[in-house]
Amino acid sequence: MAHLSEGTLRRKVDDQDALNGSDARHYATCTECQTQYETFADDARVAASLLATPDVKVDVSSAFKRFQSAPAAQPRFGIRLPVVRPAMRPVFGGLAAAVALVLLIGTGIAQDLLGVFSPTSITPVPVSVADLQSLSELGTYGTLTWTTQLQPQLVTSAAEAASVSGLKVPVVSSLPAGVSSTVTYAAMPQAVGVLTFDAAKAAAAATAAGKTLPPMPSGMDGSTLTVTVGPAVVEVYGDLMKSGSTSSGSTQIPTIPGLIVAESSAPLVTSSHSTTKEIEDYLLAQPGISPTLAAAIRAVGDPSKTLLIPIPIEYATSTTVQVQGVNGVALGDNTGLGAAVVWIKNGVIYGVAGTLTQDVVVGVADHLG
Amino acid sequence: MGVNLEAASEAGRRLGAVRSNEESFEALFRAEYTRVAGIANRVLADPHEAEDVAQEVFIDFNRLHSATAHYASAWLYRAAAHKALNRMRGRRRRERREFAQAADEGASTIDPQHMLEVSEDRRKVREALARMAPKPATVLVLRASGLSYSEVAQALGVGIGQIGTLLRRAEAALRKEVTRGSSL
Repeated sequence: MAHLSEGTLRRKVDDQDALNGSDARHYATCTECQTQYETFADDARVAASLLATPDVKVDVSSAFKRFQSAPAAQPRFGIRLPVVRPAMRPVFGGLAAAVALVLLIGTGIAQDLLGVFSPTSITPVPVSVADLQSLSELGTYGTLTWTTQLQPQLVTSAAEAASVSGLKVPVVSSLPAGVSSTVTYAAMPQAVGVLTFDAAKAAAAATAAGKTLPPMPSGMDGSTLTVTVGPAVVEVYGDLMKSGSTSSGSTQIPTIPGLIVAESSAPLVTSSHSTTKEIEDYLLAQPGISPTLAAAIRAVGDPSKTLLIPIPIEYATSTTVQVQGVNGVALGDNTGLGAAVVWIKNGVIYGVAGTLTQDVVVGVADHLG
Repeated sequence: MGVNLEAASEAGRRLGAVRSNEESFEALFRAEYTRVAGIANRVLADPHEAEDVAQEVFIDFNRLHSATAHYASAWLYRAAAHKALNRMRGRRRRERREFAQAADEGASTIDPQHMLEVSEDRRKVREALARMAPKPATVLVLRASGLSYSEVAQALGVGIGQIGTLLRRAEAALRKEVTRGSSL
């Protein structure tokens, strides 16, 4: 009979009755297994001794109160990036609305052309802060419900990220100098949301905000848009939080990560019966939308094949670059603090961003495995 | 004035769901906090810092998962080990604090040599854990924290049959790392 496996022998260290009949008989007469067992038991004893620590005394009720009082403990809906400062959230909220706007218009137009939105390239669209501020949350225009919930989650390994998302997780071949190798993975399975336009709700929200909206076309009121997003994977290199000191003791302060790599299947949007022209006219007629943005959106040649990327023109510039053999859009932060590149290949959108120069970011993107 | 019964009913259902989620989370917190803090303390040997890690673990969990998820406990255990190991890596200033802590614990013996040995051993163990691959380091920490083979397997997402082998190799690796240059 073959000797007992190391796993079996190790288990015996913790449970003297772990060996079954034939294993027990073998062990009783095999000096080699007995010697190996003694070695394993000795290593286990040393490891237990090395890892011994006094029990931590905790007051669970106090700990729960501390948890409740932490700002980050409040329930959240959707994704919130730890690097986004509270003062910046309205801008990011507006940016999200802008992304939704261009997506809706682009895909709405695509309905007339092909019936399916399947982008193969991306085009930057200039968006001003005024544009962002003029847009409301998507939910303002109707009722957004998720038929398949958004389930973003932090995972502990690339393998788990791949398992959750079903995507091949990008691998950074060599990290740029100064970027920490500490990596945090997040992954999200595919999610499906349905936006049902509601003219009364949109008008009421606008009135509450002191605005007057153009009347929603009758064909659009009550129509639905089905939005499929993800699956997606995000890798964040660097510590998301760092220890700091305040008068009340040590605390954790959010930090800007050195490098972020993201991958997502291209979104898919379908419309029930509202026409493209109606959606486009209605959204571009929102008070405050600049003629520049409207013209840029109307000028897109083949929106069924183009994903529009809103660029906040006060903060960033964009240039076309070659990445992984396709055209991508590189975004340079005018302050010089960071850069990003976005490209789309085989129906998958990729993004690399970091507190790095544009050349370095594009280099990382080009060598992504 | 008419009353929209359907809307009121929906609002009631949502409120009930929120309350139920909050209650479920509090129950999970109360059931698992001590163990989560214990796992972090096994790595950090610093109760205060271990509780900081435990708080972060629950905040992350609450942000992204349902308290009734079947994997909740396994997720918390693994996250506690990973977060504590990540915190430890690259840290150097701990050494000063450890020496002070060893001095406190060794006060009953008033033996400077013993104090030095306690501090030195903890530093070596911690550095060894930090050098090890995440999986074996996590196996060691979870098992030393009192998790059963089954719980360790669930936390790591592997079959229970692999735990003996993983544990054996991790213990050998730890001893090798720690004894590098010492006489243990």
